[in-house]
Amino acid sequence: MSEQTSKPILAIRDLKAGYGGGRMIVNGVDINVGAGEIVCVIGQNGAGKSTLLKGIVNLIQLRQGTVQLDGKDVTDLPAQKLLLEGLAYIPQGRSIFPRLTVAENIRMGGYLIKDRAVLKRRHEEMEAMFPALAELRGLQASSLSGGQQRQLELARTLMMDPKVLMLDEPSIGLAPRIVDQVFTVLRDLAKLGKAVLMVEQNVRKALAAADRGYVLELGKVRLEDRAQALLDDERVAQLYMGMRPTAA
Amino acid sequence: MLAFAEQGMNGLMMGAIYALFALGMVLIYGVMHVLNFSHGVLFMAGAYVCQVIFAQLTGNYFVAILGSMLVLALVGCLLEKGIFQHLRGSLSMQIVASMGLIMIVQNGIIYFFGPLALHMRVETVESKIRLGPLSFTAQHFVIIGVTLVAVVALDLFLRHTRLGTALRATSQNLEAARVVGINPDSIFLMTFALATALAALAGALLGPLFLISPAMGDLPLLKGLTAIVLGGMGSVPGAIIGGFVIGILEAQATLVLPTDYRDAVVFAALIGILLFRPYGLFGKRERGEP
Repeated sequence: MSEQTSKPILAIRDLKAGYGGGRMIVNGVDINVGAGEIVCVIGQNGAGKSTLLKGIVNLIQLRQGTVQLDGKDVTDLPAQKLLLEGLAYIPQGRSIFPRLTVAENIRMGGYLIKDRAVLKRRHEEMEAMFPALAELRGLQASSLSGGQQRQLELARTLMMDPKVLMLDEPSIGLAPRIVDQVFTVLRDLAKLGKAVLMVEQNVRKALAAADRGYVLELGKVRLEDRAQALLDDERVAQLYMGMRPTAA
Repeated sequence: MLAFAEQGMNGLMMGAIYALFALGMVLIYGVMHVLNFSHGVLFMAGAYVCQVIFAQLTGNYFVAILGSMLVLALVGCLLEKGIFQHLRGSLSMQIVASMGLIMIVQNGIIYFFGPLALHMRVETVESKIRLGPLSFTAQHFVIIGVTLVAVVALDLFLRHTRLGTALRATSQNLEAARVVGINPDSIFLMTFALATALAALAGALLGPLFLISPAMGDLPLLKGLTAIVLGGMGSVPGAIIGGFVIGILEAQATLVLPTDYRDAVVFAALIGILLFRPYGLFGKRERGEP
């Protein structure tokens, strides 16, 4: 039903993940993300959205299934190796280093880059891409606004020039205007060929920015379609966007 | 006035020891969020190792200090790998383990070296330096000088190197550190090694001036703890200043009170801080904290 990209850059098969106690929070999920594509996973609280991302980057103890990155099986690689392979992840909430400067935060994104010249060049590229951050480079990161902190997380993550960028609720805690800016940046990144996989509560704006979407319920994929089709879907509208049933 | 200056110098010297001591504790607390109560016996063990290398092996105090720091750094790695790594996530277990270490190390030292105090006769304790009408051992100046060098070196390491920045990053946001590819386990190991080396340095510096005994780390532990509370738990500059403030405070207190009340003055100051400024002189009240 959804138009499948010819060859996904990130392919998740039958992923199960949980925190123990006999219950899997994510219970057999298949997801594909193509290069240059933004894929959004929506679902209610507790549907397993954050656990899904943590499961993909191997930051959770209990997991099964396979993760393929650019045709290579990376299921058992630790998060650090995944980063080197080109899979980056931004956790939910503020993941900056609050008492490092803006510049130090960005450079920490390149922690795994051993070549100083490359590190310096990437840092300059990031400051060119996010001019607002360049002006604030000497400030403590905690003094930045919410939107600037989100930019800082993006800049830090892009230091590794990842193929796939995964974000856990990039819009959380931001003013509506800033949310639009963040999604614009994500669209720009997709234009550059990056694959973006995000989970979101802000269903309307996230789907508007995305190419395709998945609806996650109780750890399983219930619906999968083009983002526009999901936006037009009455069930999605009722369940996740607070719309009343039209015929009621 | 003369007595004031003399006690000022003594206070600076003890303050330097407390600052080194507190630095190690604050590093561990800042990065791993655990108060390592065994820091005092590691300080004591550092003095013993220094004494052995100096008196029985080389006769060179400088080599003995470096050797003692190296040995204790290794001990720190073993403690982290063998004990604390496995207790991560349980604060109370870590505290119990560090209490247990106090008994093991203290009694281990008594077993091997006996309960009597050891001397360590280094040249810098025998030779005096005159400052006008006052005279101090050269060791006073060695302690203050070495401490300043150590503090500057640590500051350069923490602020201007990749690993030092990673250490600070890990202490501020563990999850984000993992996400950028830092391996927290190796940062924890490095922190422990650094902290125990600083404890050894403090022990090796103070050892020759006083006696080296199994209980020599007990009071510095309480003073070091006071220093980091004073400095605002987790603040590195706070720990340094806290250490010096306590050293100078207790030295000056002997001018107005009987010497026996020296420690009481320090702990009264601690109680005062806890009552009126519980987040310390330099700590910031974090959002959400009372």
